[in-house]
Amino acid sequence: MNFLAPFAFLFALTIPVVIVFYLLKRKRVVKLVSSTLLWQKFLAETQASAPFQKLRRNWLLLLQILMLILAVLALTRPYFATKAKSSDLRVLILDASASMESTDVAPSRFEKAKEEALKWVDSLRPSDKMVVLQVAANTEVKQSETSEKAALRRAIMSCSAIDSPTRLAPALKMAESLVRDRGKESNPEIHLFSDGAVPDMSEFNNEALPLIYHRIGESGNNLGITALDVKANPEDASQRAVYVSVANFSTNTMESDLELLLDGRLVNTRPLKVAAGETSPQIFIASQDHDGVFTARLTAKDDLAADNEASIVSLLPHPVKILLVTRGNRFLERALRAAPNVQLNVVTDSTDDASEYDFVTLDDVVPTVWPKCNVLAIHVANTNWFDSVSQQDGPQIVDWRATHPVLRYVGFDNVQVAKSMSVKTPSWGISLVDSPQSPLIIAGDLGRQRILWIGFDTLESTWPYRISYPIFVANAVEWLNPATERNAQLLVHAGDPFRLPLQQPLTNNAQITLPDGTAHSIKVDPKANELVFGDTFREGVYRLKTGTNDTVFTVALLDAAESNIKPREELQFGKYNKVSATTLHRANMELWRSIAAVALLVLLFEWWYYHRRTV
Amino acid sequence: MPNSLLTPELLRRLEQFQLLAARRAKSSARGERRSRARGQSVEFADHRNYVPGDDFRYLDWNLYGRLERLFLKLYEEERELPVRIFLDSSESMSFGEPRKFDFARQIAAAVGYVALCGFDRVSVIPFPDNKEEMAIRGALRSVRGKKSTMTFFQNITQLTAKGSANLNEALRRGALEARQAGVAVVLSDFLDPAGYESGLTALVGRGFQVNAVQILAPEELSPSTFGDLRLVDSETGTMQEVTFGRYRMSAYQQMVQNFCQKLREYCQGRGINFFMASSNTALEYLLLKQLRQSEVWG
Repeated sequence: MNFLAPFAFLFALTIPVVIVFYLLKRKRVVKLVSSTLLWQKFLAETQASAPFQKLRRNWLLLLQILMLILAVLALTRPYFATKAKSSDLRVLILDASASMESTDVAPSRFEKAKEEALKWVDSLRPSDKMVVLQVAANTEVKQSETSEKAALRRAIMSCSAIDSPTRLAPALKMAESLVRDRGKESNPEIHLFSDGAVPDMSEFNNEALPLIYHRIGESGNNLGITALDVKANPEDASQRAVYVSVANFSTNTMESDLELLLDGRLVNTRPLKVAAGETSPQIFIASQDHDGVFTARLTAKDDLAADNEASIVSLLPHPVKILLVTRGNRFLERALRAAPNVQLNVVTDSTDDASEYDFVTLDDVVPTVWPKCNVLAIHVANTNWFDSVSQQDGPQIVDWRATHPVLRYVGFDNVQVAKSMSVKTPSWGISLVDSPQSPLIIAGDLGRQRILWIGFDTLESTWPYRISYPIFVANAVEWLNPATERNAQLLVHAGDPFRLPLQQPLTNNAQITLPDGTAHSIKVDPKANELVFGDTFREGVYRLKTGTNDTVFTVALLDAAESNIKPREELQFGKYNKVSATTLHRANMELWRSIAAVALLVLLFEWWYYHRRTV
Repeated sequence: MPNSLLTPELLRRLEQFQLLAARRAKSSARGERRSRARGQSVEFADHRNYVPGDDFRYLDWNLYGRLERLFLKLYEEERELPVRIFLDSSESMSFGEPRKFDFARQIAAAVGYVALCGFDRVSVIPFPDNKEEMAIRGALRSVRGKKSTMTFFQNITQLTAKGSANLNEALRRGALEARQAGVAVVLSDFLDPAGYESGLTALVGRGFQVNAVQILAPEELSPSTFGDLRLVDSETGTMQEVTFGRYRMSAYQQMVQNFCQKLREYCQGRGINFFMASSNTALEYLLLKQLRQSEVWG
């Protein structure tokens, strides 16, 4: 046992004071009696003829000395140094993500984590320092390095969980930078209070992080919506198809009703039965006559409420207006016309900025005026796109990025290219198809313009004869359609910022209404061409009013890793490195509270005993 | 017979009693008690040879007819029984509710009344000395005959409890002063720091048949004042500091019992009749039952 405040032993000097009190005579009531003979015989021990009397065994004295000893002991703040070593700096990381809102431990995992963290604050020695970080979508420093317990407690109490996924890596990096410069003797520690529902952290594979993982949570009984999308019904374009993916992360089969609402009105209900560990994809077909918000809702009660509801904004599709600038390309023209809901205009040259079109396809034609809208450029390059452009013959296609939306279901097997432009992948884009010398297809955003660049003339390749060509064109139409991007921006993952491009500068403040109905005013810089709203911590429907425009966007969790709330016994850092949940107790198990409680009991007993004696 | 000490009913019942003396009376005065002395009475005692000068009236003529020798018939002389009542009149007796001294006076009156009814001589000896009451005390020194009862009661009523007593001294002096031994009744609380042993021993040694009645107040048996106290002795002025609570009551009572038991055993070892009475005891119970059962009177 050690003592945090050994100087408090000086308070033991009060013990002789108590003894002196007992040595002194007490003030008494004078009473005349017939004879003191009987009393003399009986009460010789209380006789006092001098200022001091012989100390006798007196239970009151013993009780008071016992109480004083306990009080002094409590003041010295004894603690048991357990397995945990003392540490000069502890970085507390509180996981405030959606999974920590689970109620498998009452009242919630996050409250439990806070409680545990507060205990560690209590066990701090006066010289020890602590940092409090809250991590969810972003890492927030709740309290910088300090040894002031009140500030640390305040910081921990101010933390609150949000409906967002965990992004632990930035927090760990920050914590690592805090502990890195400490010497070994100071023994810094990083304490993570989490349920372990964190994404892969391979980047810390080789880091010897002094991480102590406090596992919070007991069970993982959760049925959640992990994906939500709305599209035109492929079979009937006048209807909308809502895709909902429901995953069961518990160990039992779970049943629930899945409700679909449009602008709060119930449209459809479907009973669901999902086996343990399974995902059930559901498609709802609904007719929609105006822009609205589809909400999918699970009615079953489980441990995590944040993923039981998800909303998505569904805008009615408008025809895609495409300007095709070509000297003649039937393959391309047919492929473009085959895409759904397209208004195609074919010209040989573009003489204005084509602002009335959704995107422009430049097929081996350098336009007189380069368009400002999105561009599909085939074998043509604007001078400010690439540093240098050269030619290469017979490039071999060696690799393509199949995960990109443009290359969905697109393969380049048996595609030969006669010659192509040779460029270096610019900073604004990524290479989708590679030859050994240079990228052949690049996709990216340059400023507000979305560009899909093909470095070779498709007519000088075998590609148009392949089935992948029309699929690629259909994907490109989808990707380049500004409405697609706008729609995608209207569904924000919790914790991510919502960005709204402003067509004209705002003169007034913007108004936002949160899912709980509260309205806030957002100050917008008049010069800004984009409005960024970062307070997307709760899932639901947000309504933004900018001038005369109303924008509705939704925030949803839609994260399978976060919905899987089963507490992990260990955290995996890459292939070989892992950290097990600690059974470590607080470094300094302080005892003063228990001792003070016993002292109080002794005091009460002493009070009772005294009154019993004299009344 | 009006008096404040005893009720007429009690007096009527006491008249039926007579003090029982285990020993023969040794008084020189004639009375109604059997004695070792030979004299005139109806109780035959012995014969003795005639010597010239003897009264012819006591010659046993029947014996002379058979033996032709002169014998004198001797009869037991009936003498009076001196009863000495030692009444503790110290300051400590004035305590208690009812007062111990009042209770002691009642017993003294009752014992005196029984003795007077039996034509015995009664001496009431209050101690310590009180010069203011010399006349009353002198009158109580020797009382005889039932006709003196009224005065006797009045005198007892006028006694007061005052001063500091020395029980041993008072009893020893009483034993020495007595010309003949008889019945001695000691009425006291026996709360004398100097003890009671030598006084009682002196009375027994002088030949008294001693009856000791210890009178304690209810407050002394179970005190009702608690807390941190400074007790002042009414007689000696000695101070005693005490912290007393209910939780120590049983221990205190046990101590009182031990004190009384010690006195009782001391008395029993010397053939003394011992009675302990609280001052609130019913007088009839003590007089008509306890004293009778112990054959103080019958």
